Amino acid sequence: MKYSATLRVNGFSYPVTIEPQRTLLSVLRDDLELTGSKEGCDDSECGACMVLLDGEPVNSCSYLALQTLGREITTVEGLSTNGDLSPLQKAFLEAGGVQCGFCTPGMLISATALLARNPRPDDEEIKASLSGNLCRCTGYTPILAAVRSAVEMTAG
Amino acid sequence: MTMTTEPRTAPVVRLDGREKVTGVGRYAADMTLTGLLHGRFRFADIGHARIKRIDTTRAKALPGVVAVITEADVPDVQYGLFIKDRRLFAKGVVRWEGEVVAAVAALTPEIAKRAVELIEIDYEPLPVITDIEAALAPGAPLIHENWESYWQDEKLVRSGNEASRSTIVKGDTAAALASADLVVKGRYVAAGSQAAPIEPRAILAEWRSDRVQIWSSTQVPFAARSLVSETLGLPENKIRVTVPHLGGGFGAKCEGHFEPQVAALARAARRPVKVVFSRRDEFLAPDHRREGMIVEVESGVMRDGTIVARRAQVLTENGAYSADEPLITILAAIFSTGPYNVPNVDITGRCAYTNTQPSGSVRAPGAPQAAWALEQHMDEIAKALDMDPVDLRRKNLLRNGDLSPTSQVMSEIRAVETLDKAAELIGWGQPLPDDEGIGIACAWWPSFPMATSAFVKINVDGSPTIITGAQECGTGAVMTLPILAGEILGIDPSEFSLVYQDTESGPWDGGAGGSQTLFNNGRAVADAAMDVRRQLLKLAADELEAAEDDIELADGRARVKGSPDRFVTIAALADKTQGTQLLVGKGSGEVPPTPASDTSACTGRLGAESFAAPTFGTHAVRVKVDRDTGVVRVLKVVAAHDSGYIVNKVGAAGQVTGGVVMGLGQALTEGTQISGEGRVRNAHLLDYKLQTMADVPDISVWFTDTAVSDAGPKGSKGVGEPPCIPTPGAVANAIAAATGARVRELPATPGRIWSALREGQA
Amino acid sequence: MSALASGSTAMGQATAAGPSYTAPTTVDDVIAAMATGSRVVAGGTDLVVGSRQGRWPVPEHLVAIHRVNSLRGIRPVVDGGLWLGATATHGEIAEDATIRERYTALADASSIVGSRATRNVGTLGGNIANASPAAETSGPLMCFGATCMLESRNGRRELPLDELFSGPGRTVAAMDELLVSVSLPAQPAGTGSCYARLEYRRQMEIAVVGATAVVTLDGGQITAARVAITSLAPTVRRVPEAEAALIGSTGDRAAAERAGEAAAAASLPIDDVRAAADYRRAMAAVITRRVVQAAVDRARGETVSIPASASLHGAL
Ligand SMILES: Cc1cc2nc3c(=O)[nH]c(=O)nc-3n(C[C@H](O)[C@H](O)[C@H](O)COP(=O)(O)OP(=O)(O)OC[C@H]3O[C@@H](n4cnc5c(N)ncnc54)[C@H](O)[C@@H]3O)c2cc1C
Ligand code: FES
Ligand code: FES
Repeated sequence: MKYSATLRVNGFSYPVTIEPQRTLLSVLRDDLELTGSKEGCDDSECGACMVLLDGEPVNSCSYLALQTLGREITTVEGLSTNGDLSPLQKAFLEAGGVQCGFCTPGMLISATALLARNPRPDDEEIKASLSGNLCRCTGYTPILAAVRSAVEMTAG
Repeated sequence: MTMTTEPRTAPVVRLDGREKVTGVGRYAADMTLTGLLHGRFRFADIGHARIKRIDTTRAKALPGVVAVITEADVPDVQYGLFIKDRRLFAKGVVRWEGEVVAAVAALTPEIAKRAVELIEIDYEPLPVITDIEAALAPGAPLIHENWESYWQDEKLVRSGNEASRSTIVKGDTAAALASADLVVKGRYVAAGSQAAPIEPRAILAEWRSDRVQIWSSTQVPFAARSLVSETLGLPENKIRVTVPHLGGGFGAKCEGHFEPQVAALARAARRPVKVVFSRRDEFLAPDHRREGMIVEVESGVMRDGTIVARRAQVLTENGAYSADEPLITILAAIFSTGPYNVPNVDITGRCAYTNTQPSGSVRAPGAPQAAWALEQHMDEIAKALDMDPVDLRRKNLLRNGDLSPTSQVMSEIRAVETLDKAAELIGWGQPLPDDEGIGIACAWWPSFPMATSAFVKINVDGSPTIITGAQECGTGAVMTLPILAGEILGIDPSEFSLVYQDTESGPWDGGAGGSQTLFNNGRAVADAAMDVRRQLLKLAADELEAAEDDIELADGRARVKGSPDRFVTIAALADKTQGTQLLVGKGSGEVPPTPASDTSACTGRLGAESFAAPTFGTHAVRVKVDRDTGVVRVLKVVAAHDSGYIVNKVGAAGQVTGGVVMGLGQALTEGTQISGEGRVRNAHLLDYKLQTMADVPDISVWFTDTAVSDAGPKGSKGVGEPPCIPTPGAVANAIAAATGARVRELPATPGRIWSALREGQA
Repeated sequence: MSALASGSTAMGQATAAGPSYTAPTTVDDVIAAMATGSRVVAGGTDLVVGSRQGRWPVPEHLVAIHRVNSLRGIRPVVDGGLWLGATATHGEIAEDATIRERYTALADASSIVGSRATRNVGTLGGNIANASPAAETSGPLMCFGATCMLESRNGRRELPLDELFSGPGRTVAAMDELLVSVSLPAQPAGTGSCYARLEYRRQMEIAVVGATAVVTLDGGQITAARVAITSLAPTVRRVPEAEAALIGSTGDRAAAERAGEAAAAASLPIDDVRAAADYRRAMAAVITRRVVQAAVDRARGETVSIPASASLHGAL
């Protein structure tokens, strides 16, 4: 049977009617048509689907949608406020941290969670925290530079 | 094309960047359409077999299934670049596990998946060949029984399982080897690897009467259109291929692929259909694989390090069907002798059919493995001569005036500079801890001149638009094209809009492959911008009552040189043209000439006779090897490239770091493993390990950054592909330097390094 | 259903047979659901991922346990031991001060499970119940003498962890038994521990070979030792021969090597896509030797940073 439930995504409430086996990623993409979160793999290795669940990163491809009830989900679409890019989004653009952009949503989610936890991470911590997000284009170097520069922008 | 080195515009943010960081940018899999059905392919799931029966009755009967199609439902057309050995759907025989046998369109992806499982196929198994040498052995069972009946490119030389055979011959190699002070031999075996863009392929097709609109995650929309035209028998103007944002390609999304099948499925279903590949599908799909390769090479050298002759045999893995592997084999053969001045060369390239995933052009096709083999061989020569590996390379690297293997005369190249810079920046020769080592490798790569065109228009409000057939796959065309046009028109690059990756909007383009977008499309866009510039200058001259020569375009204005107060805005000029002539420029530019070469002694040539605007690069890598486990950690990489003038520093550096890291993966952890039955054993990311951010060392990027003639815009050369070439070789040499053990298999997994250390070979 | 219908999150009711889902807040409700055939889902990082890989379908009937408060947390207990709720996440374990100090091998293990996202939702209970021969926490838990509490409608039972696993992916727990918690007994003064695995990449690895050592030093001598091997047999298992090789020694390199050889001898390695059997066996010796030495170092109060897998790279 299907369940009616309300998901909280990027500060909005979305009513959905879904089977319990549905993953959060499929509900975000197919039911809510929030397609910013991407699907890149079938074994939870790539991180393209990453979202924040109560502020912590989760691979939405392998998390059941119904398990998020009563919790706040943030997707890449929710990272900018009133059209203003977050410091991380800006830094990704300026440092060349975006090429094809397919890993970008997940990268931004991981990095956002990291900076919320620790506004001044060192390189090792940045690398470890973002290692669940695969990027085939950039060689990661510009992404590391982007996170560093966002740290400078925000931590002053 | 004029060559200037005037100051570059400040780094520009990519035009598509904002969409990408906010998540609103659409990729093919993100799209939906009214009435959309979900498609799925039934793959062969067996290495090699005769099809005795296909029964789709049960699949068709499943509620929610709208169409099921097989080869019987499409025109019987064989296609292929050099050999027409492929069909859209298997007919009679399947030759690798990923071959498409049938396709289903259904209301949901789940129903499509179930329907695919309900298709009954009876097979009679045939012998499976997965090994290159076994395929070429005399008496090996034929992978294509009727190979002789296939159309082929007339220049192609082939026979049975040998899909191509070509040679590069210069001088008298036998005599030179006989008179050399020393002959060094080596055999190197590289596994196939995968392009593995993070975006899996997705295609949608929707028929509008007798026209089909296709959205595809392809690098080559025009080639995709041609394939649909060829296989479904439609004129090209009835087929529109549009690419939403493309999530990387690296060659996997080159060639037309699956667009015709999805179009045929949508036609049968009379509804739009979307097919999205799973990651596993990606690992089986045709032309996603960088070919496995066996390189046997011997070099004749003199005591002073001069290389006098090189003989090599390069065997490549074509896979079950042939795309551009015969040409890639020719490239691999060139790279198996390296960017060195070798007067006598005798190389044979042989491309073998096997019952495995077809190989195709993956970022710098053929080059990384051949360079990996050759650069290890160079170090082995240095060792045999007791010579410093950098000195050996410096002595033999191509210099201006030297001849390439196909007797092209080198000019305006800076290979030695890249070597010296890489050696300097890595700290070559410095004392290192016992478990560390530094390796170095050189490489070269052509630019690919081809024709293309573009339009630049100034809208009535003065805003500029570039219209091109170019394809952006993340590489940065969206940055470089506005930079080039902006400089010519005195308009900030960020003000441009760009119409691209759509076969109905822009002129034909070769697509995102061969590092060609800036090289060729940039030329066309600059030429089109020059056309508009002339129109603007003429209008401004009238308006400002000055000579055209005295007017410059800057900051969105036309102004008289030396008196900045006498200006008219481009917007005002554009406004004036309403009702008269609109500001549209078109351009193609002149395709740079292909350098002369001499291949009179060579056979089976399909192209790549000479290298236009060749790029050169040297990578140096420092590693730390855990001797007990064979695990390697890369500590530092230096990448020094002669890519001509650099139009966009941020973009170019991003290509290099991306290429380096792809190369590190190929060197250490990426390799497709195939069972004896022809099944891929690691068709998922957990066991096909891409490098993670944590694995990435400090990477220093250095460019000669000097303009050259007969090249791309402003004296630039291609930058996208070369950075992935020298890395595997440099890593292998670094491992050998750290451990004294040499791993002649790719990738150098910990297990292989451990075995090499145990055998104590060096 | 009851639980989920609470608060503002309106939930429909099951009307006909078909898939079902419930997310109760009490153990009683969880075991009631299990009794009628519902499968537990905690973080889903094995259960859901396995289905996406095509290894099994997501079960029809699911009971999610992330809302059960009594299954959460990590708490010291009176006798000096530690209680871990089944839904303690790898992230929580990796950061827990007591675990880092007194059950260091467990912190070594949990801190290398998947990525931060995996550790954020992946639970200890799921890691154990999934019973993979490559499960990271099993070795440390066994070596610390962990017991696990199972509960079903028929009551509770406590089982030493070494008795739980019966094969790859199999445990002796019944389908309707919930793993409620894991208890770790107090470790004697002078105990040091370490878990490490062989890592091809620096992150996002899976154990191809792993080993745990827990040693107690008294007057410079090893008085108690526990060694386990991971990914080297159908289940994670202790290696008594390796332990015997350590007891009475000073924990010097020679003793560590003997333990490593014993671990290699006790391995039943397989040839697969990740490694060849002979390499695995050889690595059993190397990794075991290293974890023994690191455990001894830690017992002596020296610092070996967590996770040990990273810090032991290239160690002799
Ligand atoms: C990318 C990735 C990397 C990973 N890396 C590692 C790794 O390095 N090392 C490692 O060991 N594991 C790894 N895992 C596996 C997994 O994350 C862990 O095993 C995790 O601890 C599982 O916990 P979970 O809560 O997600 O389990 P779930 O998937 O929710 O459940 C797993 C199984 O246990 C059952 N179950 C769960 N809780 C209970 C309970 N309380 N009582 C009874 N049965 C229960 C479920 O029914 C299911 O059968 C990885 C997974 C992913 C996706
Ligand atoms: S799609 Fe979720 S991790 Fe790859
Ligand atoms: S930018 Fe393409 S995968 Fe990261």
